[in-house]
Amino acid sequence: MTWLTEWAGYLPQLMSGLAVSLLIAGISIFFGYPLGLVLSLMVTAKNLAVRTLGLAVVEIGRGAPALVILYLFYYGLPKFGIAFESITAACLALTWNSAAYSSEIMRAGLQSVARGQLEASNALGLSQRDTFFRVVMPQGMRSAIPGLMGVAIQMFQGTSLAYGIAVPELMKTAYNIGSQDFNYLQIFTLAGLCYAVISMPATWITVFFEKRMARHT
Amino acid sequence: MTLSEIADGKLAPRLGIKLDNISKRYGEHTVLDDVSLHVEPGTVTALIGPSGAGKSTFLRCINLLERPDSGTIQVDQHTIEPGKDVNSRDLAALRRTVGMVFQSFNLFPHMSALKNISFPQQKVLGRSKEEADERSRQLLERVGLKEKADQHPGKCSGGQQQRIAIARALALDPAIMLFDEPTSALDPEVGLEVLAVMRELAADGMTMIVVTHEMHFARDVSDTLVVMADCKIIEQGDPRAIMSDPQEARTRRFLRAVLER
Repeated sequence: MTWLTEWAGYLPQLMSGLAVSLLIAGISIFFGYPLGLVLSLMVTAKNLAVRTLGLAVVEIGRGAPALVILYLFYYGLPKFGIAFESITAACLALTWNSAAYSSEIMRAGLQSVARGQLEASNALGLSQRDTFFRVVMPQGMRSAIPGLMGVAIQMFQGTSLAYGIAVPELMKTAYNIGSQDFNYLQIFTLAGLCYAVISMPATWITVFFEKRMARHT
Repeated sequence: MTLSEIADGKLAPRLGIKLDNISKRYGEHTVLDDVSLHVEPGTVTALIGPSGAGKSTFLRCINLLERPDSGTIQVDQHTIEPGKDVNSRDLAALRRTVGMVFQSFNLFPHMSALKNISFPQQKVLGRSKEEADERSRQLLERVGLKEKADQHPGKCSGGQQQRIAIARALALDPAIMLFDEPTSALDPEVGLEVLAVMRELAADGMTMIVVTHEMHFARDVSDTLVVMADCKIIEQGDPRAIMSDPQEARTRRFLRAVLER
Protein backbone atom coordinates (compact mmCIF):
# COMPACT_ATOMS: atom_id res chain seq x y z
CA MET A 1 0.00 0.00 0.00
CA THR A 2 2.81 2.37 0.88
CA TRP A 3 4.18 1.96 -2.69
CA LEU A 4 0.94 3.18 -4.17
CA THR A 5 0.79 6.25 -1.94
CA GLU A 6 4.44 7.01 -2.69
CA TRP A 7 3.82 6.60 -6.41
CA ALA A 8 0.85 8.93 -6.19
CA GLY A 9 3.19 11.51 -4.67
CA TYR A 10 5.86 11.06 -7.36
CA LEU A 11 3.53 10.99 -10.30
CA PRO A 12 2.96 14.74 -10.96
CA GLN A 13 6.72 15.38 -11.16
CA LEU A 14 7.29 12.27 -13.21
CA MET A 15 4.60 13.30 -15.67
CA SER A 16 6.52 16.44 -16.59
CA GLY A 17 9.53 14.21 -17.30
CA LEU A 18 7.37 11.93 -19.43
CA ALA A 19 6.15 14.97 -21.36
CA VAL A 20 9.75 15.91 -22.18
CA SER A 21 10.49 12.33 -23.27
CA LEU A 22 7.46 12.29 -25.55
CA LEU A 23 8.43 15.68 -26.98
CA ILE A 24 11.94 14.49 -27.86
CA ALA A 25 10.60 11.27 -29.34
CA GLY A 26 7.98 13.21 -31.32
CA ILE A 27 10.50 15.67 -32.73
CA SER A 28 13.03 13.01 -33.67
CA ILE A 29 10.33 11.02 -35.48
CA PHE A 30 8.73 14.05 -37.12
CA PHE A 31 12.03 15.19 -38.61
CA GLY A 32 13.77 11.82 -38.71
CA TYR A 33 11.32 9.99 -40.98
CA PRO A 34 11.26 12.50 -43.85
CA LEU A 35 15.04 12.66 -43.57
CA GLY A 36 15.06 8.86 -43.61
CA LEU A 37 13.10 8.89 -46.85
CA VAL A 38 15.66 11.25 -48.41
CA LEU A 39 18.49 9.01 -47.16
CA SER A 40 16.83 5.89 -48.54
CA LEU A 41 16.77 7.56 -51.96
CA MET A 42 20.37 8.74 -51.64
CA VAL A 43 21.55 5.24 -50.77
CA THR A 44 19.95 3.87 -53.96
CA ALA A 45 20.99 6.81 -56.15
CA LYS A 46 23.03 6.25 -59.30
CA ASN A 47 25.38 9.13 -58.51
CA LEU A 48 28.36 7.77 -56.57
CA ALA A 49 28.94 10.90 -54.48
CA VAL A 50 25.29 11.09 -53.43
CA ARG A 51 25.24 7.38 -52.64
CA THR A 52 28.44 7.55 -50.61
CA LEU A 53 27.21 10.51 -48.58
CA GLY A 54 23.89 8.79 -47.92
CA LEU A 55 25.61 5.56 -46.92
CA ALA A 56 27.96 7.39 -44.55
CA VAL A 57 25.10 9.16 -42.78
CA VAL A 58 23.09 5.94 -42.50
CA GLU A 59 25.95 3.74 -41.39
CA ILE A 60 27.21 6.16 -38.75
CA GLY A 61 23.65 6.68 -37.50
CA ARG A 62 23.12 2.94 -37.20
CA GLY A 63 26.65 1.86 -36.38
CA ALA A 64 27.44 4.21 -33.53
CA PRO A 65 25.49 3.90 -30.28
CA ALA A 66 23.00 6.73 -29.92
CA LEU A 67 24.70 7.77 -26.69
CA VAL A 68 27.98 8.36 -28.51
CA ILE A 69 26.28 10.62 -31.04
CA LEU A 70 24.45 12.36 -28.23
CA TYR A 71 27.75 13.07 -26.42
CA LEU A 72 29.40 14.21 -29.63
CA PHE A 73 26.63 16.72 -30.25
CA TYR A 74 26.56 17.99 -26.67
CA TYR A 75 30.17 17.77 -25.53
CA GLY A 76 32.05 17.44 -28.81
CA LEU A 77 30.68 20.18 -31.06
CA PRO A 78 31.39 23.10 -28.69
CA LYS A 79 35.04 22.48 -29.68
CA PHE A 80 34.06 24.00 -33.03
CA GLY A 81 32.10 26.77 -31.42
CA ILE A 82 28.77 25.02 -31.93
CA ALA A 83 26.96 24.72 -28.65
CA PHE A 84 23.44 23.37 -28.16
CA GLU A 85 21.00 23.33 -25.31
CA SER A 86 20.95 19.81 -23.91
CA ILE A 87 17.43 19.18 -25.17
CA THR A 88 18.34 20.44 -28.67
CA ALA A 89 21.39 18.18 -28.73
CA ALA A 90 19.20 15.25 -27.71
CA CYS A 91 16.68 16.00 -30.46
CA LEU A 92 19.42 16.32 -33.11
CA ALA A 93 21.17 13.11 -32.11
CA LEU A 94 17.97 11.08 -31.92
CA THR A 95 16.73 12.57 -35.20
CA TRP A 96 19.89 11.27 -36.84
CA ASN A 97 19.32 7.92 -35.18
CA SER A 98 15.71 7.64 -36.32
CA ALA A 99 16.56 8.88 -39.83
CA ALA A 100 19.25 6.21 -40.18
CA TYR A 101 17.09 3.34 -38.94
CA SER A 102 13.93 4.42 -40.76
CA SER A 103 15.82 4.92 -44.02
CA GLU A 104 16.73 1.24 -44.17
CA ILE A 105 13.14 0.22 -43.48
CA MET A 106 11.85 2.59 -46.15
CA ARG A 107 14.49 1.42 -48.64
CA ALA A 108 13.37 -2.16 -48.11
CA GLY A 109 9.74 -1.07 -48.48
CA LEU A 110 10.39 0.84 -51.70
CA GLN A 111 12.42 -2.02 -53.15
CA SER A 112 9.67 -4.50 -52.31
CA VAL A 113 7.36 -2.81 -54.83
CA ALA A 114 6.93 -5.21 -57.75
CA ARG A 115 8.98 -4.51 -60.88
CA GLY A 116 5.83 -4.76 -62.96
CA GLN A 117 4.53 -1.60 -61.30
CA LEU A 118 7.46 0.36 -62.73
CA GLU A 119 7.07 -1.26 -66.12
CA ALA A 120 3.37 -0.43 -66.22
CA SER A 121 4.10 3.18 -65.24
CA ASN A 122 6.80 3.44 -67.92
CA ALA A 123 4.61 1.86 -70.56
CA LEU A 124 1.82 4.31 -69.72
CA GLY A 125 4.30 7.16 -70.12
CA LEU A 126 4.02 8.43 -66.55
CA SER A 127 6.82 10.78 -65.53
CA GLN A 128 9.46 9.57 -63.08
CA ARG A 129 8.04 11.92 -60.49
CA ASP A 130 4.49 10.63 -60.80
CA THR A 131 5.79 7.08 -60.88
CA PHE A 132 7.64 7.57 -57.61
CA PHE A 133 5.14 9.65 -55.66
CA ARG A 134 1.91 8.10 -56.90
CA VAL A 135 2.84 4.50 -57.64
CA VAL A 136 5.99 3.37 -55.83
CA MET A 137 5.88 5.40 -52.63
CA PRO A 138 2.30 4.66 -51.56
CA GLN A 139 2.93 0.93 -51.94
CA GLY A 140 6.43 0.95 -50.46
CA MET A 141 5.45 3.04 -47.47
CA ARG A 142 2.50 0.80 -46.79
CA SER A 143 4.75 -2.19 -46.31
CA ALA A 144 7.17 -0.07 -44.26
CA ILE A 145 4.56 1.06 -41.73
CA PRO A 146 4.93 -1.76 -39.18
CA GLY A 147 8.72 -1.37 -39.20
CA LEU A 148 8.46 2.40 -38.84
CA MET A 149 6.12 2.02 -35.90
CA GLY A 150 8.69 -0.29 -34.31
CA VAL A 151 11.38 2.35 -34.75
CA ALA A 152 9.06 4.94 -33.20
CA ILE A 153 8.77 2.81 -30.06
CA GLN A 154 12.55 2.36 -30.03
CA MET A 155 12.98 6.11 -30.33
CA PHE A 156 10.68 6.73 -27.40
CA GLN A 157 12.66 4.33 -25.23
CA GLY A 158 15.87 5.78 -26.62
CA THR A 159 14.99 9.18 -25.18
CA SER A 160 16.13 7.78 -21.82
CA LEU A 161 19.69 8.22 -23.15
CA ALA A 162 19.19 11.98 -22.94
CA TYR A 163 19.57 11.42 -19.21
CA GLY A 164 23.28 11.31 -19.98
CA ILE A 165 23.34 15.00 -20.89
CA ALA A 166 21.02 16.12 -18.09
CA VAL A 167 17.86 16.62 -20.15
CA PRO A 168 14.98 16.66 -17.62
CA GLU A 169 13.23 13.74 -19.26
CA LEU A 170 11.59 10.77 -17.57
CA MET A 171 14.77 8.98 -16.39
CA LYS A 172 16.45 12.15 -15.17
CA THR A 173 13.33 13.18 -13.28
CA ALA A 174 13.07 9.74 -11.72
CA TYR A 175 16.73 9.84 -10.69
CA ASN A 176 16.32 13.27 -9.12
CA ILE A 177 13.30 12.12 -7.12
CA GLY A 178 15.18 9.00 -6.05
CA SER A 179 18.18 10.90 -4.84
CA GLN A 180 15.98 12.94 -2.51
CA ASP A 181 14.60 10.07 -0.43
CA PHE A 182 16.61 7.08 -1.73
CA ASN A 183 13.45 5.15 -2.70
CA TYR A 184 15.19 4.15 -5.92
CA LEU A 185 13.35 0.85 -6.20
CA GLN A 186 9.92 2.46 -6.09
CA ILE A 187 10.72 5.38 -8.35
CA PHE A 188 12.53 3.40 -11.05
CA THR A 189 9.78 0.79 -11.05
CA LEU A 190 7.30 3.57 -11.62
CA ALA A 191 9.49 5.07 -14.37
CA GLY A 192 9.68 1.66 -16.05
CA LEU A 193 5.91 1.39 -15.87
CA CYS A 194 5.56 4.80 -17.51
CA TYR A 195 7.70 3.63 -20.45
CA ALA A 196 5.72 0.40 -20.65
CA VAL A 197 2.34 2.10 -20.52
CA ILE A 198 3.25 3.96 -23.72
CA SER A 199 5.32 1.29 -25.47
CA MET A 200 3.13 -1.76 -24.94
CA PRO A 201 -0.08 -0.43 -26.51
CA ALA A 202 2.06 0.96 -29.32
CA THR A 203 3.46 -2.54 -29.88
CA TRP A 204 -0.04 -3.97 -29.95
CA ILE A 205 -1.07 -1.43 -32.55
CA THR A 206 1.99 -2.39 -34.61
CA VAL A 207 1.06 -6.07 -34.45
CA PHE A 208 -2.51 -5.19 -35.39
CA PHE A 209 -1.24 -3.30 -38.45
CA GLU A 210 1.05 -6.16 -39.42
CA LYS A 211 -1.88 -8.56 -39.34
CA ARG A 212 -4.04 -6.19 -41.36
CA MET A 213 -1.34 -5.84 -44.01
CA ALA A 214 -0.87 -9.58 -44.22
CA ARG A 215 -4.59 -9.93 -44.85
CA HIS A 216 -4.56 -7.59 -47.81
CA THR A 217 -1.54 -8.92 -49.68
CA MET B 1 -19.77 3.30 -80.62
CA THR B 2 -17.17 0.65 -81.03
CA LEU B 3 -14.42 -0.06 -78.55
CA SER B 4 -11.74 1.70 -80.55
CA GLU B 5 -13.93 4.72 -81.25
CA ILE B 6 -14.26 5.10 -77.54
CA ALA B 7 -10.59 4.37 -77.24
CA ASP B 8 -9.64 7.30 -79.41
CA GLY B 9 -12.36 9.90 -79.24
CA LYS B 10 -10.87 11.71 -82.24
CA LEU B 11 -10.86 8.62 -84.44
CA ALA B 12 -7.17 9.17 -85.12
CA PRO B 13 -5.81 7.37 -88.18
CA ARG B 14 -4.39 3.99 -87.34
CA LEU B 15 -0.63 3.79 -87.40
CA GLY B 16 1.67 1.02 -88.40
CA ILE B 17 5.12 0.41 -87.01
CA LYS B 18 8.40 -0.57 -88.60
CA LEU B 19 11.10 -2.27 -86.62
CA ASP B 20 14.37 -2.84 -88.39
CA ASN B 21 17.49 -4.77 -87.43
CA ILE B 22 16.68 -4.93 -83.72
CA SER B 23 19.43 -6.63 -81.73
CA LYS B 24 19.65 -7.15 -78.01
CA ARG B 25 22.17 -8.98 -75.91
CA TYR B 26 22.77 -9.37 -72.21
CA GLY B 27 26.52 -9.58 -71.85
CA GLU B 28 27.61 -12.48 -74.03
CA HIS B 29 24.08 -13.81 -74.31
CA THR B 30 22.20 -12.81 -77.46
CA VAL B 31 18.43 -12.48 -77.05
CA LEU B 32 17.52 -10.83 -80.34
CA ASP B 33 19.62 -11.23 -83.42
CA ASP B 34 18.87 -8.64 -86.11
CA VAL B 35 15.07 -8.90 -86.04
CA SER B 36 12.94 -6.84 -88.43
CA LEU B 37 9.17 -6.59 -88.50
CA HIS B 38 6.84 -4.29 -90.39
CA VAL B 39 3.30 -3.97 -89.12
CA GLU B 40 0.66 -2.39 -91.36
CA PRO B 41 -1.88 0.00 -89.86
CA GLY B 42 -5.00 -1.68 -88.55
CA THR B 43 -3.61 -5.21 -88.65
CA VAL B 44 -3.16 -7.82 -85.97
CA THR B 45 0.21 -9.54 -85.72
CA ALA B 46 0.53 -12.64 -83.58
CA LEU B 47 3.98 -13.58 -82.30
CA ILE B 48 4.34 -17.25 -81.46
CA GLY B 49 7.22 -19.57 -80.79
CA PRO B 50 8.92 -21.65 -78.12
CA SER B 51 9.76 -20.01 -74.81
CA GLY B 52 13.16 -18.37 -74.81
CA ALA B 53 12.76 -17.43 -78.47
CA GLY B 54 12.82 -13.74 -77.61
CA LYS B 55 9.15 -12.94 -78.29
CA SER B 56 8.51 -11.01 -75.11
CA THR B 57 11.85 -9.24 -75.25
CA PHE B 58 11.12 -8.18 -78.83
CA LEU B 59 7.69 -6.89 -77.82
CA ARG B 60 9.20 -4.98 -74.91
CA CYS B 61 11.77 -3.45 -77.24
CA ILE B 62 8.97 -1.82 -79.22
CA ASN B 63 8.10 0.64 -76.42
CA LEU B 64 11.64 0.56 -75.05
CA LEU B 65 10.87 -1.23 -71.79
CA GLU B 66 13.93 -3.11 -72.98
CA ARG B 67 16.51 -0.98 -74.72
CA PRO B 68 17.75 -2.71 -77.90
CA ASP B 69 21.48 -2.40 -78.55
CA SER B 70 20.88 -1.47 -82.17
CA GLY B 71 18.20 -1.07 -84.80
CA THR B 72 15.52 1.46 -85.63
CA ILE B 73 11.91 1.89 -84.63
CA GLN B 74 9.70 3.91 -86.96
CA VAL B 75 6.22 5.08 -86.06
CA ASP B 76 4.28 7.86 -87.76
CA GLN B 77 7.27 9.66 -89.36
CA HIS B 78 9.24 9.42 -86.11
CA THR B 79 12.37 7.35 -86.19
CA ILE B 80 14.02 6.24 -82.98
CA GLU B 81 17.43 4.65 -82.80
CA PRO B 82 17.50 2.98 -79.39
CA GLY B 83 21.20 2.13 -79.68
CA LYS B 84 21.94 5.84 -79.43
CA ASP B 85 20.65 8.37 -76.95
CA VAL B 86 16.89 8.65 -77.04
CA ASN B 87 15.67 12.00 -75.84
CA SER B 88 12.83 12.02 -73.38
CA ARG B 89 10.45 13.77 -75.75
CA ASP B 90 10.79 11.01 -78.36
CA LEU B 91 10.40 8.39 -75.65
CA ALA B 92 7.26 10.05 -74.30
CA ALA B 93 5.83 10.32 -77.83
CA LEU B 94 6.56 6.67 -78.51
CA ARG B 95 4.93 5.53 -75.29
CA ARG B 96 1.91 7.72 -75.89
CA THR B 97 1.42 6.08 -79.28
CA VAL B 98 1.93 2.55 -78.05
CA GLY B 99 -0.20 0.96 -75.31
CA MET B 100 0.80 -2.23 -73.53
CA VAL B 101 -0.94 -5.04 -71.69
CA PHE B 102 1.11 -7.35 -69.49
CA GLN B 103 0.87 -11.01 -68.57
CA SER B 104 0.65 -10.09 -64.89
CA PHE B 105 -1.79 -7.18 -65.43
CA ASN B 106 0.30 -4.78 -63.32
CA LEU B 107 -2.65 -2.74 -62.17
CA PHE B 108 -1.92 -0.30 -59.35
CA PRO B 109 -3.17 -2.19 -56.28
CA HIS B 110 -3.70 0.93 -54.16
CA MET B 111 -6.10 2.52 -56.62
CA SER B 112 -9.67 1.61 -57.55
CA ALA B 113 -10.36 0.28 -61.05
CA LEU B 114 -11.62 3.71 -62.07
CA LYS B 115 -8.58 5.48 -60.63
CA ASN B 116 -6.28 3.01 -62.38
CA ILE B 117 -7.74 4.12 -65.69
CA SER B 118 -8.25 7.82 -64.91
CA PHE B 119 -4.96 8.63 -63.17
CA PRO B 120 -2.70 8.08 -66.24
CA GLN B 121 -5.11 10.10 -68.43
CA GLN B 122 -4.87 13.03 -66.04
CA LYS B 123 -1.09 12.82 -65.76
CA VAL B 124 -0.12 11.91 -69.31
CA LEU B 125 -2.81 13.60 -71.38
CA GLY B 126 -3.66 16.38 -68.94
CA ARG B 127 -7.36 15.55 -68.93
CA SER B 128 -9.49 16.91 -66.12
CA LYS B 129 -10.70 14.44 -63.51
CA GLU B 130 -14.26 14.64 -64.86
CA GLU B 131 -13.18 14.05 -68.46
CA ALA B 132 -10.92 11.19 -67.44
CA ASP B 133 -13.54 9.55 -65.23
CA GLU B 134 -16.13 9.78 -67.97
CA ARG B 135 -13.80 8.09 -70.44
CA SER B 136 -12.87 5.49 -67.86
CA ARG B 137 -16.51 4.62 -67.18
CA GLN B 138 -17.21 4.28 -70.92
CA LEU B 139 -14.27 1.92 -71.30
CA LEU B 140 -15.19 -0.08 -68.20
CA GLU B 141 -18.66 -0.51 -69.61
CA ARG B 142 -17.28 -1.67 -72.94
CA VAL B 143 -15.12 -4.32 -71.30
CA GLY B 144 -18.15 -5.38 -69.25
CA LEU B 145 -16.99 -4.13 -65.88
CA LYS B 146 -19.07 -1.04 -65.19
CA GLU B 147 -19.97 -2.31 -61.74
CA LYS B 148 -16.30 -2.76 -60.79
CA ALA B 149 -15.39 0.93 -61.05
CA ASP B 150 -14.95 1.46 -57.33
CA GLN B 151 -13.38 -1.92 -56.55
CA HIS B 152 -9.68 -2.31 -55.96
CA PRO B 153 -7.85 -4.76 -58.26
CA GLY B 154 -7.34 -7.17 -55.36
CA LYS B 155 -11.09 -7.72 -55.25
CA CYS B 156 -11.30 -8.57 -58.97
CA SER B 157 -10.65 -11.89 -60.70
CA GLY B 158 -7.65 -12.24 -62.99
CA GLY B 159 -9.80 -11.92 -66.08
CA GLN B 160 -11.44 -8.80 -64.73
CA GLN B 161 -8.06 -7.31 -63.82
CA GLN B 162 -6.76 -7.94 -67.31
CA ARG B 163 -9.80 -6.27 -68.85
CA ILE B 164 -9.29 -3.27 -66.56
CA ALA B 165 -5.65 -3.20 -67.68
CA ILE B 166 -6.77 -3.18 -71.32
CA ALA B 167 -9.13 -0.29 -70.56
CA ARG B 168 -6.30 1.55 -68.80
CA ALA B 169 -4.09 1.28 -71.89
CA LEU B 170 -6.90 2.22 -74.30
CA ALA B 171 -7.79 5.29 -72.26
CA LEU B 172 -4.60 6.96 -73.47
CA ASP B 173 -5.73 6.73 -77.12
CA PRO B 174 -2.87 4.53 -78.34
CA ALA B 175 -2.55 3.92 -82.06
CA ILE B 176 -0.89 0.56 -81.48
CA MET B 177 -1.50 -1.99 -78.73
CA LEU B 178 1.05 -4.52 -77.51
CA PHE B 179 -0.12 -7.61 -75.66
CA ASP B 180 2.47 -9.69 -73.79
CA GLU B 181 0.88 -13.11 -73.22
CA PRO B 182 -2.28 -11.47 -71.91
CA THR B 183 -4.01 -14.74 -71.05
CA SER B 184 -1.09 -16.86 -69.85
CA ALA B 185 -1.71 -16.11 -66.17
CA LEU B 186 -5.42 -16.90 -66.45
CA ASP B 187 -7.55 -20.03 -66.25
CA PRO B 188 -8.58 -21.07 -69.76
CA GLU B 189 -12.22 -20.12 -69.19
CA VAL B 190 -11.34 -16.75 -67.71
CA GLY B 191 -8.94 -16.16 -70.58
CA LEU B 192 -11.89 -16.28 -72.96
CA GLU B 193 -13.39 -13.05 -71.64
CA VAL B 194 -10.07 -11.30 -72.26
CA LEU B 195 -9.77 -12.79 -75.74
CA ALA B 196 -13.31 -11.61 -76.50
CA VAL B 197 -12.32 -8.04 -75.71
CA MET B 198 -9.21 -8.40 -77.88
CA ARG B 199 -11.24 -9.81 -80.78
CA GLU B 200 -13.57 -6.85 -80.58
CA LEU B 201 -10.62 -4.48 -80.55
CA ALA B 202 -9.13 -6.22 -83.59
CA ALA B 203 -12.46 -6.06 -85.41
CA ASP B 204 -12.53 -2.32 -84.76
CA GLY B 205 -9.26 -1.98 -86.62
CA MET B 206 -6.77 -1.44 -83.82
CA THR B 207 -3.18 -2.13 -84.77
CA MET B 208 -2.15 -4.95 -82.45
CA ILE B 209 0.95 -7.01 -81.79
CA VAL B 210 0.22 -10.00 -79.60
CA VAL B 211 2.66 -12.44 -78.04
CA THR B 212 0.52 -15.47 -77.37
CA HIS B 213 0.23 -19.19 -76.87
CA GLU B 214 -3.45 -19.08 -77.88
CA MET B 215 -3.25 -20.78 -81.25
CA HIS B 216 -6.94 -20.37 -82.05
CA PHE B 217 -6.71 -16.66 -81.47
CA ALA B 218 -3.55 -16.46 -83.56
CA ARG B 219 -5.17 -18.34 -86.41
CA ASP B 220 -8.62 -16.73 -86.37
CA VAL B 221 -7.88 -13.15 -85.43
CA SER B 222 -4.40 -12.28 -86.64
CA ASP B 223 -3.62 -11.01 -90.12
CA THR B 224 0.03 -11.92 -89.87
CA LEU B 225 1.55 -14.79 -87.95
CA VAL B 226 5.17 -14.40 -86.92
CA VAL B 227 7.09 -17.40 -85.68
CA MET B 228 10.16 -16.73 -83.57
CA ALA B 229 12.80 -19.21 -82.48
CA ASP B 230 16.39 -18.88 -81.34
CA CYS B 231 16.39 -15.06 -81.19
CA LYS B 232 15.12 -14.67 -84.76
CA ILE B 233 11.96 -14.53 -86.83
CA ILE B 234 12.05 -17.80 -88.73
CA GLU B 235 8.77 -17.55 -90.59
CA GLN B 236 5.98 -15.07 -91.14
CA GLY B 237 2.88 -14.74 -93.25
CA ASP B 238 -0.75 -15.75 -93.44
CA PRO B 239 -1.61 -17.58 -90.21
CA ARG B 240 -3.72 -20.30 -91.83
CA ALA B 241 -1.10 -21.01 -94.45
CA ILE B 242 1.68 -21.29 -91.91
CA MET B 243 -0.35 -23.41 -89.53
CA SER B 244 -1.46 -25.85 -92.22
CA ASP B 245 1.80 -25.89 -94.16
CA PRO B 246 4.81 -24.56 -92.25
CA GLN B 247 7.91 -24.08 -94.39
CA GLU B 248 10.50 -24.42 -91.64
CA ALA B 249 11.23 -27.62 -89.77
CA ARG B 250 11.51 -25.66 -86.51
CA THR B 251 8.03 -24.20 -87.07
CA ARG B 252 6.63 -27.63 -87.79
CA ARG B 253 8.14 -29.01 -84.60
CA PHE B 254 6.74 -26.15 -82.54
CA LEU B 255 3.27 -26.31 -84.09
CA ARG B 256 3.11 -30.06 -83.59
CA ALA B 257 3.91 -29.55 -79.92
CA VAL B 258 1.19 -26.93 -79.36
CA LEU B 259 -1.53 -28.13 -81.73
CA GLU B 260 -1.36 -31.89 -81.40
CA ARG B 261 -1.13 -32.25 -77.67
